Amino acid sequence: MNETTLPVVGEQGNIVTDPDLDQLSRMIDHVADVLPTQGPITVFIAQNILQAFEHHPFDEGMKRAATVLGCQPYLSEDRYREELGRARIRFSDLKVVLAQDLGGRASEQVAGWGTRLDLRLAMLEYPTKTGPTAELLWYVAETDALRKVRSDASSTARARLIAETRRWVMRDLRGWTETGPDGVRKQRVGNGLGELLDRFGESSIENWADERWEEFTLQALWKICRSGVRDLPQFTSPPPMFIRHRDLLHEATGADSDRLVHGILIRFCSAFLDQGLARWPLPRRDEGFFKSFCSLYGQPGGMPALWMRGLAAELRRLESEEVNPLASIRDSLEQLGVQPEEREAFLSATFLALRGWAGMVRQVEIRGDRAVKPVPPGSLVEFLAIRLLLDRFALKFKAHELIDFNGPLAELRSITRVLIKPHWPPSDEQRAFQLFQIAQIMGLSPDLLYRLDRAQWIDLMREIETFSGLERRRIFHLGYEKHFRTRALDAITLHSPLEKIPTAPPRFQVVFCLDEREESFRRHLEEIAPDVETLGVAGFFNLAMYYKGMADAHFTPLCPVVIRPQHWVLEEPGIALDKASRFRAKTRRMIGTASHQFHLGSRSVALGALLTGAVGVFASFPLVARILFPRVTARIRSSLGRFVRTPPITHLHLERTTLTPGKEGESTGFNLDEMTSIGQRLLSDMGLTKSFARLVIILGHGSNSQNNPYNSAYNCGACGGGAGGPNARAVAQILNDNRVRANLAKRGLLIPEDTVFVSGCHNTCNDTIEYSDLDRIRDSHRPDFSKARANLEAACERNAHERCRRFMSAPLTLSFSEALEHVEERAEDLAQTRPELGHATNAITIVGRRSWSRGLFLDRRAFLASYDPTQDDENSTILAGILSAVFPVCSGINFTYNFSNVDNIVLGSGTKLPHNLAALVGVMDGAASDLRTGLPWQMVEVHEPLRSLFIIETTADRMFTIMDRNAGISQLCRNRWIQLALIHPETRALTLFGDNGFVPHEAVATVLPQASSSAEWYRGWREHLEFAQIVPVNQVTT
Amino acid sequence: MFSEQIPLFFGFVVVACPTILTIVLGLSSLLEYKLEERSTEKLVYFATGVGLIASLIVLASMLIGGSRHITVELGQWVMIPHLYHFSVKLVFDRLSVPFAILTFVLSGTIAAFAGRYMHREKGFNRFFVLYSLFVLGMIVTSLAGTIETLFTGWELVGLSSALLVGFFQERPAPSRNGLWVWINYRFADAALLLADVVLHHFNGEGDFDQMLLAVSWPDGHSALSSQQALLVGLLLLVAAAGKSALVPFSGWLPRAMEGPTPSSAVFYGALSVHLGAFLLLRSSPILQQSTTLCVIIIIVGLLTAIYAYLVGTVQTDIKSALSFASLSQVGLIVAEIGCVGLVDPEWGYIPLVHILGHAFLRTLQFVRAPSLLQDYRTLEDAIGKNLDQGGVPLSSLGTRKAQSWIYRFAMERGSLDTILLDYVVNPFVKAFRWCDGLERRWTDFLSGESSRESDLIKSQLETIEDFS
Repeated sequence: MNETTLPVVGEQGNIVTDPDLDQLSRMIDHVADVLPTQGPITVFIAQNILQAFEHHPFDEGMKRAATVLGCQPYLSEDRYREELGRARIRFSDLKVVLAQDLGGRASEQVAGWGTRLDLRLAMLEYPTKTGPTAELLWYVAETDALRKVRSDASSTARARLIAETRRWVMRDLRGWTETGPDGVRKQRVGNGLGELLDRFGESSIENWADERWEEFTLQALWKICRSGVRDLPQFTSPPPMFIRHRDLLHEATGADSDRLVHGILIRFCSAFLDQGLARWPLPRRDEGFFKSFCSLYGQPGGMPALWMRGLAAELRRLESEEVNPLASIRDSLEQLGVQPEEREAFLSATFLALRGWAGMVRQVEIRGDRAVKPVPPGSLVEFLAIRLLLDRFALKFKAHELIDFNGPLAELRSITRVLIKPHWPPSDEQRAFQLFQIAQIMGLSPDLLYRLDRAQWIDLMREIETFSGLERRRIFHLGYEKHFRTRALDAITLHSPLEKIPTAPPRFQVVFCLDEREESFRRHLEEIAPDVETLGVAGFFNLAMYYKGMADAHFTPLCPVVIRPQHWVLEEPGIALDKASRFRAKTRRMIGTASHQFHLGSRSVALGALLTGAVGVFASFPLVARILFPRVTARIRSSLGRFVRTPPITHLHLERTTLTPGKEGESTGFNLDEMTSIGQRLLSDMGLTKSFARLVIILGHGSNSQNNPYNSAYNCGACGGGAGGPNARAVAQILNDNRVRANLAKRGLLIPEDTVFVSGCHNTCNDTIEYSDLDRIRDSHRPDFSKARANLEAACERNAHERCRRFMSAPLTLSFSEALEHVEERAEDLAQTRPELGHATNAITIVGRRSWSRGLFLDRRAFLASYDPTQDDENSTILAGILSAVFPVCSGINFTYNFSNVDNIVLGSGTKLPHNLAALVGVMDGAASDLRTGLPWQMVEVHEPLRSLFIIETTADRMFTIMDRNAGISQLCRNRWIQLALIHPETRALTLFGDNGFVPHEAVATVLPQASSSAEWYRGWREHLEFAQIVPVNQVTT
Repeated sequence: MFSEQIPLFFGFVVVACPTILTIVLGLSSLLEYKLEERSTEKLVYFATGVGLIASLIVLASMLIGGSRHITVELGQWVMIPHLYHFSVKLVFDRLSVPFAILTFVLSGTIAAFAGRYMHREKGFNRFFVLYSLFVLGMIVTSLAGTIETLFTGWELVGLSSALLVGFFQERPAPSRNGLWVWINYRFADAALLLADVVLHHFNGEGDFDQMLLAVSWPDGHSALSSQQALLVGLLLLVAAAGKSALVPFSGWLPRAMEGPTPSSAVFYGALSVHLGAFLLLRSSPILQQSTTLCVIIIIVGLLTAIYAYLVGTVQTDIKSALSFASLSQVGLIVAEIGCVGLVDPEWGYIPLVHILGHAFLRTLQFVRAPSLLQDYRTLEDAIGKNLDQGGVPLSSLGTRKAQSWIYRFAMERGSLDTILLDYVVNPFVKAFRWCDGLERRWTDFLSGESSRESDLIKSQLETIEDFS
């Protein structure tokens, strides 16, 4: 999605004339797409981590990502089998998915062993062990492997295996020679089975005990397997050979030249990207990565490490000859002996070696508008030039030290390749052992194998070996998703016909963000106040702006990342309070400056000594208090801070009087027409064009927690990592404006005179709501508001309660109000690594009328966007507009959580515990490491990585039209990066998008569980829950 | 009689608490009896709480009773009457009691922090076992009445610290840096052990109170001659330099930030980094004997302070920046101790207060390190503009060229690690490899064939990756 913002290729600050360099520059730009796309962590934007692979179908994309990035494409087989064990994956589903996947090939017989489907199912159900050859030989010799049938094989399989072997031996093998038709006596059995019979004592064969038969069977089986796989062709492909010199040298010797390079490169990147953490900024930073590095490390003297000898001279040469970074890259590639055809792969691998930092250099370069201190264009190319230069020095040094290689680096790869002991192909023992285990599970006796001819052996082994771990995991994943999808669609099939269309207008309406964390909030509110109507819409409420609050230093963009706002909005003090506000701002500034100076001073020598000596001991009070009593301390702090806070009464400067929008004074805000359009679009998107209640509350949301570099990731995704409160406030102010209403009426949208809009912001971490502009509520509506507010407060408590069931450190027995206290404490706790669980568990995106999903317990897993198809036009203009925001936002969040969960090491950022904030752009592990992108384990541990199931209330034709018009949506749907289902606006029939277009969903379940309230359903349970209908026993209208 | 018994009893309690905690947590881990997170936490709270109260009671009884010096004899390890002994002895005086209280307050607070911070972490129990070992080491070190007792605690601190640095075992960097810390510590330990041996050689004992001629800290002077004091003092300085990351051992301090945030906060930011200074403070009577020694200590301290300040100004990650900030204060504290040696011992309270204040402030900063983003934002919002970074230090001094040179010096952390690695460690290792090669050639020659099976074994495991 940031294609459009990429700088023109070749625009590196200097003119590229050489066509070869021009092509190199293009290639670098293209290759850099594999780098992480996460920008500075201050504005965490959830998007597809694997965006570079999105143009492939999902499975193909995952496979490629695994090869290129070295990440896990799916969960581990063990994890899936665990899910199989607890029926989260159904065996029946696996069978269906597998049959679909194989198509006509499912029922084919494999070497007389049974159908392909059965063989694959067996391989899915039972794990097969493998290991290095030496370990396998030890395993076979020293354990029970050749004495007892594996313990997880079913007793029928075991019995059949032994009985058939016995019969075969008794019938065919005894007296192990026979006279052939030519009169020559020859051995009837080969493969050393005769010797085996001898060893077991053939003479006493009729007295063999059961154990002895079992042992014989297994030994025979093992022998036959081993001899059978001998000389068969390989069916697995060799792992890709390393392309970087470092990887080859590392594989051959165990020594790592990247450690040397990264040591210096991490320090330098961090200094280069620093947004203000270090006191002393990098000299000559503005001249770019290359020049700055050359001038810094080109200086003589100091004590360079041995491997960097000569580097300073080389850098001085580059500087004095004014070598272009691209030319330097080409030079390095030539010196390293990288052929033109392998350049792309080589550069990709080189970038990925330090992907976090490289990616951040790129992001700050191309999205300079999102950084406080942007970097000059061409930084990534310069980074690469320096990196390759350092690589050369480190390789030369290590190669000399380890393998005494002093020749040109171009030859290093061929020399190290020879030293590497390949792991491929698998040995006969490894191949045989897999077959040996599968035969036991399936209860297939040795004689079956014994009778196979070579062609059949090839068939059999191909079948087994091509159904590799990756394939098995792919099938498991399909089964994992299918079970959830079936349950979700069943629930909607059963629930949606029960919708009740209210006859009277609701008492009040509440507009939420479509965020899945608001699902539970809406549900609880609807339970508390059955006469409320809730609506969901992307949380910037169709009002894109740069916003600067009273207490903010900068404008921040509040809208989805795909939109660039055209308007600026300022928060201003109420006129009467102007003076007081100036005083407060002054005090705030004084305190701020003082504490900043204290912070800096405590890190300096002399002032630090004075500060630590004189007042250091008093730090023990806040230290002990904040850690032991976070909630109480927070209250005290906030009451102390009251006198500097922004005045209680402020207003938004929304109306612009100048022609063009700008940042200053009168040019901020919108003109009347723009306001009208914003209002119109918002209301028609939600389908809120008639039956307005007297009171409409618009709630944005944000999150605030302590000690959490990922704070912004908990904020509103539709506000680009900001809180949506100001958007809600602005929209309410617009809709309350009588002139806007008059204009809207002209456009046919009539807001009744007695409808009042109120706005607020829901804090998803401590579950409180802060309202704005309460002083402007008409007296006539105050009683309505206070009643609604009481309902919302009760909903806050219940929402906190439902959230608490997921926190292992919150007892399950909490009452509603205790739960609220618990989440308040979490938000203030410095030691809390899970202030909230964010979007974890999200799995569904529903776009449609609330009336048919209301009362369904969706377990905080569904994004809910309101859309009324009856109000849309022929071309589905409204839906297309909604989906253009919903798709990137909801799927982006889903991908970020999925991939961070599937591979938390490569795609996520690992555990949060050792994280160290670097350069104010991201986190490192411990003292120095690559920048970690993605989400930490603490945020995703309860997540189930499922592709989001989009359920949209429209018809197939209309959906196809939208897909055809919007390439992004089409790609996500057609390449299956999301799952798509439609619910028919009239019949409520569900159809599921697949290879054959939309096919009807056939419900499996016939009845949904019911509970009288949400709490009744979820209480006492920490895991994911089934969907259920919430049917209040006595619906009393308050 | 009774009034003497009370502090003695509580003195025992102070040491017994961490000891019992270590035994309970350690044994339960050894026997694979997995304690619940909650019960581990409760045990730790209880032990540190009781320890803290006991040490406060000791302090109170000392204040009320007016005694400035209470010793708890735990027995002799080796003894030749009147000539030579190694004794296990604890001392409660105006240096050790504040230090013990500091340890209990900080480690207790951090335990509360870690209990929530480490929630659901695989190594939760391991963390607390190491934590209890650390607390025990700290308490023994602060209360030690003889160098040999101090050495015991010193070792426990070193061991648990190195293991905590390497806490995250699944990545190579923590283990590597843990090893780096461990080697530095061992070097310091060797110096401390030597100091003990030399002291025994001169005096026949390593008891601090004898060294202090039975006068309580900070008064008293040593019986050693100036030359003897210089030798012992230099050894102690090496020990202190290793433990407190003074120049030239400073490289390990930022590397120690690999562990979970609470351990880096309390161990390196606040407690163990002050141990070196504490050792010098404890042996201040020796310092009094030699002006040369004091001057050397002042120089090392000031060098460290300046070095750490310069390096600290260019650090771009919060943990390194804080650790160098810590170090510059530790350098100053050491220099202060040197100065105290030159003047009146009564001034010894200044470095002590400095240590206490610094420890609390830095711990607070360390545990809040991940908050930095929010804090910066709040400050920026309050001030209303981008934060002024503090600017170039020494901007008035030197040309742009000189500044650039200093920046590089700071960026490369003075190349201290490089020097140690390239010119000390690697030649050392190479020398032994050379001997090893010699031996191999001999044995091959004698046996007439390749004599080492281990040469044939590949160090890396065969991996069975499956991406096909």
